[in-house]
Amino acid sequence: MKQRQWDALRLPLIAVALGLLVGCILIVLAGNNPATAYWALVKGSLSGVTELGRTLDKATPLVMGGLAVAVAFKAGLFNIGGQGQLLLGAAVAAYFGFRFSMPTVIHLPLAMAMGGLAAGLLGWLVGVLKATRGTHEVITTIMLNFVAANLTDWLTSRDGPWKDPESGAIARTPLVNESAEIPRLGGLPTGFLVAVLAAGICWWVFEKTNFGFEVRTTGLNPKAARYAGIKTQRIIVTTMVMSAFLAGVGGAIETQGVAGRFQPGFNTGLGFDGITIALLARTNPLAVVPAALLIGAMDAGSTLMQAEADVAPEIISVIQASILFFIAAPSVVRFIVRMRSDAATDDDMRLSSGWGA
Amino acid sequence: MLKNRRLLALLGALMLFAAACGGSDTTTETGSGDTEETSEETAEAETEEEAPVSAEGDCSADDFLCVGLVSDVGKIDDKSFNQSAWEGVQGSVADQFDFIETQDSNDYGTNIQTFIDQDYDVIVTVGFAIGEATVEAANANPDVLFIGVDQFQGAEIANLAGLIFPEDQAGFLAGALAGLMTESNTIAAVLGTDLVPPVVAFQQGYENGARYTNPDVDVISTFHPGGLDVAFTDPAWGADTARQAIDSGADVIFGAGGLTGNGALGEIAKEDGAAFCIGVDSDQWETVPEARPCLITSAMKLITPGVQDLIAGAQSGDFTGGNVVGAVGLADYHDFSSVIPQEVQDEIAALTPLVLSGEVATDGS
Amino acid sequence: MASPTNTKRLIPWFAAALVLAAIVAAWSWKSGDTEAVLGRTVRAAAPLILGGLCGLIGERSGIVNIGIEGQMLISAFAGFMASSYTAGMGTLASLVIGILAGMIAAALTGTFMGWCAISLKMDQIIAGTVVNIFAAGFTSYAFIQGRTQPTYPQWSVPVLADLPIVGKVFSQGPLTYVAFVVVIIVQFALFRSRWGLRTRAVGEHPSAADTVGIDVLRLRYVNMTIAGSLAGIAGMLLLQSASVFNRGMTNGIGFIALAVMLFGRYRPFGVLLGGLVLGFFNGLQAQLQFRQAFDIPPQFFGMIPFVFTIAVLAFAGVSARPPAAAGVPYEKE
Repeated sequence: MKQRQWDALRLPLIAVALGLLVGCILIVLAGNNPATAYWALVKGSLSGVTELGRTLDKATPLVMGGLAVAVAFKAGLFNIGGQGQLLLGAAVAAYFGFRFSMPTVIHLPLAMAMGGLAAGLLGWLVGVLKATRGTHEVITTIMLNFVAANLTDWLTSRDGPWKDPESGAIARTPLVNESAEIPRLGGLPTGFLVAVLAAGICWWVFEKTNFGFEVRTTGLNPKAARYAGIKTQRIIVTTMVMSAFLAGVGGAIETQGVAGRFQPGFNTGLGFDGITIALLARTNPLAVVPAALLIGAMDAGSTLMQAEADVAPEIISVIQASILFFIAAPSVVRFIVRMRSDAATDDDMRLSSGWGA
Repeated sequence: MLKNRRLLALLGALMLFAAACGGSDTTTETGSGDTEETSEETAEAETEEEAPVSAEGDCSADDFLCVGLVSDVGKIDDKSFNQSAWEGVQGSVADQFDFIETQDSNDYGTNIQTFIDQDYDVIVTVGFAIGEATVEAANANPDVLFIGVDQFQGAEIANLAGLIFPEDQAGFLAGALAGLMTESNTIAAVLGTDLVPPVVAFQQGYENGARYTNPDVDVISTFHPGGLDVAFTDPAWGADTARQAIDSGADVIFGAGGLTGNGALGEIAKEDGAAFCIGVDSDQWETVPEARPCLITSAMKLITPGVQDLIAGAQSGDFTGGNVVGAVGLADYHDFSSVIPQEVQDEIAALTPLVLSGEVATDGS
Repeated sequence: MASPTNTKRLIPWFAAALVLAAIVAAWSWKSGDTEAVLGRTVRAAAPLILGGLCGLIGERSGIVNIGIEGQMLISAFAGFMASSYTAGMGTLASLVIGILAGMIAAALTGTFMGWCAISLKMDQIIAGTVVNIFAAGFTSYAFIQGRTQPTYPQWSVPVLADLPIVGKVFSQGPLTYVAFVVVIIVQFALFRSRWGLRTRAVGEHPSAADTVGIDVLRLRYVNMTIAGSLAGIAGMLLLQSASVFNRGMTNGIGFIALAVMLFGRYRPFGVLLGGLVLGFFNGLQAQLQFRQAFDIPPQFFGMIPFVFTIAVLAFAGVSARPPAAAGVPYEKE
């Protein structure tokens, strides 16, 4: 048992170390001190309740975005549309948050669910096009990212219907009512607990239920799944809806628990972060949580890293790309650290093949 | 045995990591000064003189003024409002200064707090979007002075000055000049997004100004169709749209929208004098040298001196909260002073005080 | 009597005639506007076409490439830096050096993706994602604002540029013409040359290709590198317009190029058509705003190309069959 746990952990850990090393080299080349930079990164993300709260704030949408990607992977689908789904979820949750007022017990989950459902609708479109027309989900999700961004921008723009009437020329929705706000417990966000709960549910659904088995079979070998009597088209649509729903709820938590309203231009790049996290977690829903915490901590600490070490925050992207590369290329990692070859690190990270089928 | 190997593997990775970072520490310490200066030199060489260097000291001391700047989502060297504000901080009386670039609009509050935690005396926040976070921070920290660039203050807070600009007036003057300079009677504007109020103010002023001096003029203007995250950073779109405007008959084009607008200016410069362009925010003769072949003027909002003055006020003790209206106007004509007819220059010179005093309304009435 | 296949062959000609008629009608109604839109159509299409061709060559040889966006960004960055440091050597030399640097940088990125996909057998979508994230982060981190490079000239083709209707089409930057030459070359190379035959064989049935003596892995490496250099020109096209590099200046064009590739059903001339259609929407949205023809918020104009792409794929969908081996690493049996 211990052996297996270690094997599963080893590659991600080494990949993270190598990723930090790449970042380190670039920081040195730019003439800054990597020790100061990384120390500031740690301080800015972990050194106190505020910092921890920020890390958790950052990690929450990342958990959801990572789950969205991981869940889609289970069915062999590649959801690059986390960004658009998150934006739509955030905007719709904001609308239900400010437009209505009702008791917290109903209002809070309702707004969150509506955000998720709006995003789920996008996922449904993607799934249906994939299942019935063979349109590759990578293309449709990328296209829908642009559509969702423009749509949410318009909703809060000058002539938009959801614009805050008191904000003057500023594009944003009003604040959500208190009854829709996700409370904080002693500075720490409860939204994160929702995300952890979601991760648990995903793990249970996809690893323990019959449905999950059908999804995984579809992902591994759609032809065999069809022979086995699995309705693969239905599985594709359902999984895509669930995937988008998760991203949408991530956006809703962002609105209801962090920002308090929807404002265009937040959380850009989340779609890609979700991919990194899902792969870091090797598409295991439970492992998404620590992976998201790692990336969230980097994001949260980058502010202090700028202030104290003058290192531009984009270095985080370089580090993330490197981590992703090493995770997906165990043979390179083995070459660098002379690691033993074994099944746990070598099982292929194969997600998708061509565009059409 | 197996276990040892595993440990070795991990240790190997960590050591590699430590070796690279540790080894670099020494080089950094001995060579950091030089490297930083060279990179700064390359950065500044093309545009202006070397930026003043920040001192390191105790920000809690009374006689040591620390100024921190938190950018709007975007980079400090955006050749636009973030950069203008940062140049204001660098050129101010501050002893120590630093900036934080905001990556995500949810981080405004945290980024401000980072400076507060380091005992900074004055915090400059840039852009209307960060206004709410600035108000909150100002209320929570009455001992710290705040300067909010482009932030209109609804209620006065003693330690928060909102530096605002009547962009419509600058746009009006630019439009008035464009209306007089056009021969085709078609002028254009290539703009960032209408999600940002100052851009809309520039546009409306520009259109009304053009019609004021030339009632027959046709103004064709376009906003970038993308969101906030791309609208100001898409020079290729700006350039292609400017080209399309030229193809549609426009011969004076106003580029107002950060790097998107700068892309438009660069494209018009390829016309070698057949079309004119007008810059925005700062005097872009200095900041966008590639636009010089067409740049007749810029519709300026003087963020840099505005920020400088407010920081000076913070040091001398005459800092007042509420709205502070910064200066706007047209930039120098530079090489085009010989191209723009004298009667046009006279008319603009006569119009300028009327517009700035509000005697001539910019809303076209 | 026309057989069904013959009738089917007439459809593109019929469509072309319709488009031509529409253009002439639009021109006789608003000549200046029509010419401006057509000029923009060609200009905006060029990077999409080259990006699409980059994806197409990779896919035709069996490698899915979603890293075009990153390749374009790296190319624009390298090209700008090279041009700006050699600006003293004169405009022409500096621009040529920039173009070469951009092409080489993107080609090497292509080789890297090839290495990931071919030798490491990494999932190809992950390889592309790595390139995209890295390119965005690295170019942004390493870029120093304030440098300039010489601007690209505007070339008007004599006589053609003075024609009515299409005049503005023939007044472009030099690289734009290159894009249209390249698409013709790729079309003929892919379907008429030995290289094309081998490439298609490797993409459709690598083990069969192997048995007839084609070095599958080597051809895939070569093709990823060639394809990368095309993405490099696409990146330089953005620089040709913008005159300066800027962080994230590709703004999703590399992803739209992917859609163009699918739209074109893995055929170079199809990619050409797809690029022109999306380029047309670019021009149309700006012109409609210029003339304030409709009171539609700019955000909706911005959606048109994406909604259109989804619609086209939804209707054309299944018939666009990808090369059989795309996405699958090749292992010798």
